[in-house]
Amino acid sequence: MNPAAHSTTVAETIAFAILSAGVLAGGLMTITRRNPVSAVMSLVLTFGALAGLFATLSAHFLAVLQILVYAGAIMVLFVFVVMMVNREESTPIARQGLVARAAGVLAAGYVFYRVAWLVGHERSMPLLAASATPPVKDFGTVSSVGTLLFSDFLFPFEAISLLLLVAVIGGVMLTRHVREDRSF
Amino acid sequence: MPSYAYILVSLALFFLGTAGVLLRRNVLIVLMSVELQLAAGTLALLTFSRALGDQKGHVFAFFVMALAAAEAAVGLAIVVSVFRTRRTANLDEVNSLKG
Repeated sequence: MNPAAHSTTVAETIAFAILSAGVLAGGLMTITRRNPVSAVMSLVLTFGALAGLFATLSAHFLAVLQILVYAGAIMVLFVFVVMMVNREESTPIARQGLVARAAGVLAAGYVFYRVAWLVGHERSMPLLAASATPPVKDFGTVSSVGTLLFSDFLFPFEAISLLLLVAVIGGVMLTRHVREDRSF
Repeated sequence: MPSYAYILVSLALFFLGTAGVLLRRNVLIVLMSVELQLAAGTLALLTFSRALGDQKGHVFAFFVMALAAAEAAVGLAIVVSVFRTRRTANLDEVNSLKG
């Protein structure tokens, strides 16, 4: 059983090309827009296209969650804060300390280039060449991922709910108005 | 599509997030760039999950998503509370803890 034997169809290639172009164009626009509202909208495009990529990876549950949690909840939160803190920058990239930061970006770019070169060079190894849907029944559906969450990963699942509770309480505590006439 | 194509997209997205964190000074856009990095990590997890035929990667992608939600909630709360006291969203102007 060699998963690499599965040949990629033309439709799959076209879908992957469109979705990955959407992801990368959205990401590039997110970090280059001057207006934070445009950046949020580009981020919504990125996450929408990313949900499509998840669906092509047979991660149906995670694709739906990506839309609900990221494009829905987190982006609404960002839009609200942009509304409160809307200061359009005169220059998207400040000049102060630019040389050091540009050197950092170049160094990071070189590291990513080397890793990408390695991935491209080793693309025939089984892990990187695999392209077929795994022969597991119900791979990536709500029922199979949910079963795993509530059996093998029950403790981490409850821990993450505690983390979310802490985040909610922290968010409320950080943003509430403290009146001067009250001691607490 | 073969897995390496997805991994290359994930790498490029993570690099875009890194560049955003390093270059931009608007704290909201820096937070959005961190979200891009987390999303790139999720994509790599799901790719290897499919390549190995193991759904544990999906569970960890789920945890990353919950972590991103918590990080966005607390990060944005800090942004709002700093903006209330300092009237700025520029990271270079919030430097009173700098040694």
